[in-house]
Amino acid sequence: MIRHRRTFTATSAMVAATALVLAACGSGDDGNSGSGDGDGVDLDGKDVGAMDDYDVGVQFTATEPLNFSTLYNEHPNYPLKDDWLFWEELEERTNVTLDTTVVPLSDYEDKRSLLIGSGDAPLIMPKTYPGQEEPFVSSGAILPVSDYVDLMPNFQAKVEQWGLEDNLDTLRQEDGKYYVLPGLHEAPWQDYTVAMRMDVLEDLGLEVPTDWDEFRDVLAAIKEEYPDSYPFSGRWNVPTPGGSMLNIVGMTFGTSAGWGFNHEQWDEDAGQFVYTGATEEYRAMLEYLHGLMEDGLMDPEGFTQDDDLARQKFSNGRSFAIGTNAQTLVNEYRPDLAETNPDAVVAKIPLPAGPAGNVINSTSQLENGIMLSSKAAESENFVAMMQFIDWLWYSDEGQEFAKWGVEGVTYTKDGDGTYTLADDVDFVALNPDGDKHLQEDFGFSNGVFAYGGSTELLHSTFSEEEQEFQEAMAEKDLLPLDPPHPFTEEEREQVTLWETPLKDHTEQATLQFILGQRDLSEWDAYVAELEAKGMSQYVDVVNEAYERYQAEHG
Amino acid sequence: MVTVDPTKVADRIARPSTGGIRDSRGYRIFQVFNTVALLGVVVITLYPFVNIIAQSFSGESYIRSGQVNLIPRGFNVTTYELVMSDSMFWTSYRNTVVYTVVATLIAMVLTTCYAYVLSKKHLRGRTFLIGIAVFTMFFNGGLIPNYVLVTSLGLKNTLWAIVLPNAISVFNLLVMKSFFENLPTELEEAAKIDGLNTYKTLWYVVLPLSKAVVATMVLFYSVAYWNSWFQAFLYMDRAELFPVTVYLRNLIAGANASGAGLGSSDLAQVASNIQAVTMVLTVLPILFVYPFIQRYFVSGVMLGSVKQ
Repeated sequence: MIRHRRTFTATSAMVAATALVLAACGSGDDGNSGSGDGDGVDLDGKDVGAMDDYDVGVQFTATEPLNFSTLYNEHPNYPLKDDWLFWEELEERTNVTLDTTVVPLSDYEDKRSLLIGSGDAPLIMPKTYPGQEEPFVSSGAILPVSDYVDLMPNFQAKVEQWGLEDNLDTLRQEDGKYYVLPGLHEAPWQDYTVAMRMDVLEDLGLEVPTDWDEFRDVLAAIKEEYPDSYPFSGRWNVPTPGGSMLNIVGMTFGTSAGWGFNHEQWDEDAGQFVYTGATEEYRAMLEYLHGLMEDGLMDPEGFTQDDDLARQKFSNGRSFAIGTNAQTLVNEYRPDLAETNPDAVVAKIPLPAGPAGNVINSTSQLENGIMLSSKAAESENFVAMMQFIDWLWYSDEGQEFAKWGVEGVTYTKDGDGTYTLADDVDFVALNPDGDKHLQEDFGFSNGVFAYGGSTELLHSTFSEEEQEFQEAMAEKDLLPLDPPHPFTEEEREQVTLWETPLKDHTEQATLQFILGQRDLSEWDAYVAELEAKGMSQYVDVVNEAYERYQAEHG
Repeated sequence: MVTVDPTKVADRIARPSTGGIRDSRGYRIFQVFNTVALLGVVVITLYPFVNIIAQSFSGESYIRSGQVNLIPRGFNVTTYELVMSDSMFWTSYRNTVVYTVVATLIAMVLTTCYAYVLSKKHLRGRTFLIGIAVFTMFFNGGLIPNYVLVTSLGLKNTLWAIVLPNAISVFNLLVMKSFFENLPTELEEAAKIDGLNTYKTLWYVVLPLSKAVVATMVLFYSVAYWNSWFQAFLYMDRAELFPVTVYLRNLIAGANASGAGLGSSDLAQVASNIQAVTMVLTVLPILFVYPFIQRYFVSGVMLGSVKQ
């Protein structure tokens, strides 16, 4: 499996690279259309089907039937059906039908690269995570969508209302434009944390830990009672070992690690970027985790085992704490434990605070979003398409429709804004008696169309305990965002060459330091090794890019 | 391929001392070790199959807690009923059967004809013809040019996108060519004297003598097409055209793709017993091809056909 994955990653890299080359060749003929200087986009004759008076709160309905090609991410849990109420109702409300290119979720990114590279890309490409658009920017194959957001009143209103301008800046490329329309969250949403056996805490008279030091003390107390166990045994170790745990610990130690690892880290005092893996914060994080390992509080396999093994240990009482999100808690740990130990109680603990304070990242206010083919801007229906996207993905009505469906058919909403599923409809076990499924049978709450939105809408499908958890999270401070530092094409090529060895080495050393295979007194040697792999050059390029962006757009 | 009559081997082990030549002590020790070693290989090979089959009949929670090894725990067939009631599964299944049968047929016709032609040493331009075949083994246009080609030929979203681009596997072609080269030319000369033309010679004389290689090639091709998913993934844009391998891959790889790339609201969580059932149902048919084809793996068909 692992080997397979690796070759496959290699294939994807190859696809992306080839895509880049080919698309770059193709863009020669129409290089003067579109972006030019950015301002003064010509929309003459491209408003066929568009509404003149479209604005926030206005239902978008195309003035003539329109059809847009769309990439569709096929989720194994709810395969696309043509008779979904979603399609029917969408056409009725907006007069738009979607022509879908169905791609299995397992290999979505590869097919997207291929389609863009071969010039065969659909106009709308949803489920594009910020950063995934970068390889295509220089080819001119995708639309600098920031030039056209004035066609999208709902998008603009939400950005302004929720103060997301800084977040959007992180998406900007070297030309000062952004190329992906991200999903927007009203508030940051921290889902991943640690789940613990609350019954064991109670038995031992322990409080739920609020910071990492207390977390260690709680684990130590459990270890005393169960000397043969490793109280914490983690999961989500693919593709980055310890990916999820390092991510949440790193965040609260004021650095980035695991899934969230960024090579560069903004040093406020120095006013420049430094290399993350060589910072004192990173070292403090390693010391903390190594301490857990040394005291036998953390499973030595906890950063490398696969998820199933971690689940087995947790359900068999060989560990008492494990990484979690809202879904795995309800869908995995509780059913597992119900089988092996009916008395067990599992719950999320609020993300512990760390040396950086009681904080979470604010980048989680952006979600995956939509990339548009640059061919879209040549279509006579371009304006209508932007209005359609704005309505479906960014208006309150559109988001409610995509998530909950049709009032009176799939759900009801009472005076104080509480949503209730219709009697015969089930979704995330909110109505287990329903024999139809909101996603499978109606096509709503579909990951392609429904995400982001207001906190109220987001929480509407959460269980009560998850809402409580989210309230605790909402009290946390937000870490500041790194200032934008977009690369030029040559710079990106250059840093890509450095990134892989740097990242590999950091990951490897991280694991060695934590496991104690390498002593932390060798820290300086480790930093020198990073240096030999181009750390300073890397950071220099980042700082140059930052200064250039400041001079040009800041 | 050498086949050994199992009954004779059994005889030999059972009655080593009576009659005939006695097996040496060293040979007997070898036999014991050999049997043990091969049994070990059998166990290693069969274990994953049996494990997956056991999982497919087990309850989800037993699998998750790691209690299922060789025998199903929490025995049930509801998962089978569940998977079999999914119309998408059967659509994909039918697609796989159609793709495999048509692709294997076309591949066999093309490979056999080309290999037979190439096996004739007197053919003018033979080196060149072999050359262009071998060339494609080492060089190809790459993914995107291939995609553009298939798309512009209008093959996208049709059966032909899967069947045509890889119709000849050069490796199989070369294997077949050398098999044909080893057929005694006297047989074909005799056929010619008896009045058969080239095509009839191929059909009535060469092919019946080549059952072993034909069977091998059918096996190679059909297994490869049955298991392939990448072509379909590239050229099919509608779920109802996907073969069962793409369906299965999405079920398994999609479910394992947890982590940074996916918002947690969108994690695919497919129960492991559903995965197991789908795997069993997907593998079974192609597994049954082996015993039927094995009987053609017979050596010595040529024995006594030519006296020199």
